[in-house]
Amino acid sequence: MKTSKTLLMSVASVGALLLGFTAASAEELHLYAWADEVPQAVLDDFSKATGIEVTLDTFDSNESLIAKLEAGASGYDLIEPSQYAVQILEKKGLVEPLDHAKLPNLGNLSAVFQNISFDPGNKVSVPFIWGTTGFAYNSDCVKEPITSWKSLWDEKYKGRIYMLDNMLAAYIAGLQVNGFKANTTNADEIAKATESLIQQKPLLAGYNASNFADLVSSGEACIVEAWSGNVLQAIEQNPKVHYVLPDEGGTMWVDGFSIAKGAKNLDAAYKFLNYILQPEVAAKVTTLTKVASAVEKSKALLPPELANNPAVFPPDDKLAKADFILDLGDAMKHYQDGWTKVKATE
Amino acid sequence: MSEQAALTQTQKTRIWIEANLLGRLSPAVTLSAYLFLFVPIVVLVAYSFNASRSTVVWSGFTFDWYGEVFTDRGLRQALKVSAIIAFVSALVSTAIGTLTALAIVRRRFPGRDALSTLLLAPMVLPEIVMAVALLVFMVALNITLGYFSMIVSHVLITVPFATLIVRAAAASLDKRLEEAAADLGANEWQIFWRVTFPLLLPPIVTAFLLAATLSFDNFVMSTFTSGVGTTPLPLRIYSMLKLGITPEINALGALMVLLNVLVVVAVMGRHLKLVLKK
Amino acid sequence: MGAMQNRRGFIVTLLMLAPATVLIAVFLIAPMLIVLGYSFAGRDAYGGIVPGFNLDSYRDLFQPLYFPIFWNSVKLAFWNTVLCVLTAYPIAYFIAFRAGRFAPVMLILMLIPFWIDFLIRISAWVVLMGRNGMINSVLTATILDEPARMLGTYGAVLVGLVYAFLPSAVFPIYAALQPIDRALLEAGRDLGAGPFQNFRRVTLPLSLPGVMAACLFVFVPSMGVFAIPVLLGGGKSIIVGNLIVQLFLDFRNMPLGSAVSIVLLAFSSLGILLYMRTLRRVEQARA
Repeated sequence: MKTSKTLLMSVASVGALLLGFTAASAEELHLYAWADEVPQAVLDDFSKATGIEVTLDTFDSNESLIAKLEAGASGYDLIEPSQYAVQILEKKGLVEPLDHAKLPNLGNLSAVFQNISFDPGNKVSVPFIWGTTGFAYNSDCVKEPITSWKSLWDEKYKGRIYMLDNMLAAYIAGLQVNGFKANTTNADEIAKATESLIQQKPLLAGYNASNFADLVSSGEACIVEAWSGNVLQAIEQNPKVHYVLPDEGGTMWVDGFSIAKGAKNLDAAYKFLNYILQPEVAAKVTTLTKVASAVEKSKALLPPELANNPAVFPPDDKLAKADFILDLGDAMKHYQDGWTKVKATE
Repeated sequence: MSEQAALTQTQKTRIWIEANLLGRLSPAVTLSAYLFLFVPIVVLVAYSFNASRSTVVWSGFTFDWYGEVFTDRGLRQALKVSAIIAFVSALVSTAIGTLTALAIVRRRFPGRDALSTLLLAPMVLPEIVMAVALLVFMVALNITLGYFSMIVSHVLITVPFATLIVRAAAASLDKRLEEAAADLGANEWQIFWRVTFPLLLPPIVTAFLLAATLSFDNFVMSTFTSGVGTTPLPLRIYSMLKLGITPEINALGALMVLLNVLVVVAVMGRHLKLVLKK
Repeated sequence: MGAMQNRRGFIVTLLMLAPATVLIAVFLIAPMLIVLGYSFAGRDAYGGIVPGFNLDSYRDLFQPLYFPIFWNSVKLAFWNTVLCVLTAYPIAYFIAFRAGRFAPVMLILMLIPFWIDFLIRISAWVVLMGRNGMINSVLTATILDEPARMLGTYGAVLVGLVYAFLPSAVFPIYAALQPIDRALLEAGRDLGAGPFQNFRRVTLPLSLPGVMAACLFVFVPSMGVFAIPVLLGGGKSIIVGNLIVQLFLDFRNMPLGSAVSIVLLAFSSLGILLYMRTLRRVEQARA
């Protein structure tokens, strides 16, 4: 009995302590971004400079971002959608229009990003970083250099290949290996890509959109479909890893910040946007994440190994060949059905 | 006095063979099963002290990873969220469970059996269905996801357990004590507070601890009902896991093992002592 | 003391039952009804709900696209149940009949992994089963040339599932074995029955309710898991749990997701009903 009473007492006091912790604090900012793209160091610097406390929640697909916002009253201030997601969010009225008067640093963006196809004039988004989707391989197990998506269908690497666990990303490979464009809305082309993906499945070790860089770096995988940023971080630790933008083109993606509709901490949000548009901060982001920044002037501040790295800054001719996925509208249904079919095949 | 029927030699041999087979089978399976259950945990704890990031090669003893666990802001935040939710939901759950258990055991009313079975529903229904339904519900009513939605979902899951525990204890309570109190002139309220409740305190505390543990570890409900800034520990671990196993996760796991063992010992402490003394 | 049949007593009873009833009614039944409603609704291009009544979602589900997913889930849950129950029975038997005074300790030991965070337990297996993991190091040092592929296979998912559900199977079987009157077994032995016969004729039938409870506690929840196929199965297989997550959180298709949930619910209710009916029949047969 006595033990139980003591337990009860201690539980009650812990409870009181905890409730004390939930007292309100300073100005806050709630970010919802891709995992691994907003370095904690940059957030800490921002907090130190402005006194604003930043919470960062992460997601690993644009679809779950959109779903979360659609569920309403998400509580996030700034979100980091990819280019096509910006269009979808704008169409659904889930983002606030940007007040350019509050964004003096907006001019720091490279000219191409100030007038980009999915949001000309930066009405709702501030491009942050951009990269490519291709694949990575470990030269310990891939003896000659490979350059085509076809290698991910190669029997030689059975059981050592991973594809990105992301519908549109997987279809980039599936479509381009068949000679189609990655942003097609043609149902027949999508069906053909579905077949290829199903054919590929027995060769795969799995679908992975989170630690694929670790997998290829540790040798668990020979080839992984990959987003450039994560792999480049792994290459630093293991030079045997190589990133390739495939012959068929691959894609370019742009992740940027938008203000979620109903955001409460608007001031803090604008402060943050201006903060990351500064060249020095943008350079720090690139140095830490190995992903190119949308702020032109930051390139000059980078160490030469980064500035001249063709994986981080692909040459213009390669970029021209890359596809750029925009909102696919009703065609999404074909992709979704196909993806379900691929996943359901045993 | 038992009478042994006369057994033929063949019968005796067969019995001997069967006894040995059966006799060896259950201990063998049991031993393998316990090894199966515990070896991964032991490996986890052991490698949380490994100086290198490898999960195979041992390169020295270190507390570094534990240090990282305590300095990781995201983890600390998640821990705070989980602790608050566990405490509050366990409190609510135990209160509701106790009231319900007493009503079912002590009172007679129409539909008692049906109701008690219905209240067990959250235990057998697939958690994901309930989680999704709650999400849809909250969205339809425009309730912001956060502490409220998570606490509600955890209470829903843990109330049946709390009810069962208190109910089992209340059913075996000696009614005569309460009857004696009534004979001495105590009214219902007094009987409850001075006799029933103190007697039920140990199982109530057990129910509380079980509810808190279930809430702390809950993954499915939390996935669907968590909101901004209210990421509980299991969700944080899940995203960390998707990024790859690090020794930090091992250290965190080891700490949680320790916490759970402590809770179990606290609850069953008296029991264990009695058993080991014999 | 007598039954509290007077009015005041009744009101008190109502008040005592109110919290739980409100909880279930508002947060379980009402949401389920909404989900049911959504499963009959329509959907706009971006995933919002268009109120209406149609069977489109259910019709979609019976397409060849979705049926394999349900079938795979049933298969997986079935194998998991078989493995768990077959393993759990000897364990429960041992604790009930052979462990003597160590029984409570063994039960607690079985509880400890159950109380450790589910994901941490699974992560321990990811570590053990990796290409460069511990199991492979032992295997390559002794039997194999090449590391065996464990992660990303059906087997890995099963291992994870058994690991997660084994305690849930042990406890009900133990609860059924423990109260069996030892005198019955002695009587059987005196009549010349061998241990196997004794087991088959006495112990097994008496423990049947426990076995069925174990099946229920393993099969139904197994249909709803989604983390294990992702972490141990390489994200290659999609079972009902993953499908629900995908439809709600990725594709944003609430009517279809609701339909899948209702189907899963129907399955589970079927399982529960089957369990209760068989239980009653077993108890009647014994009476």
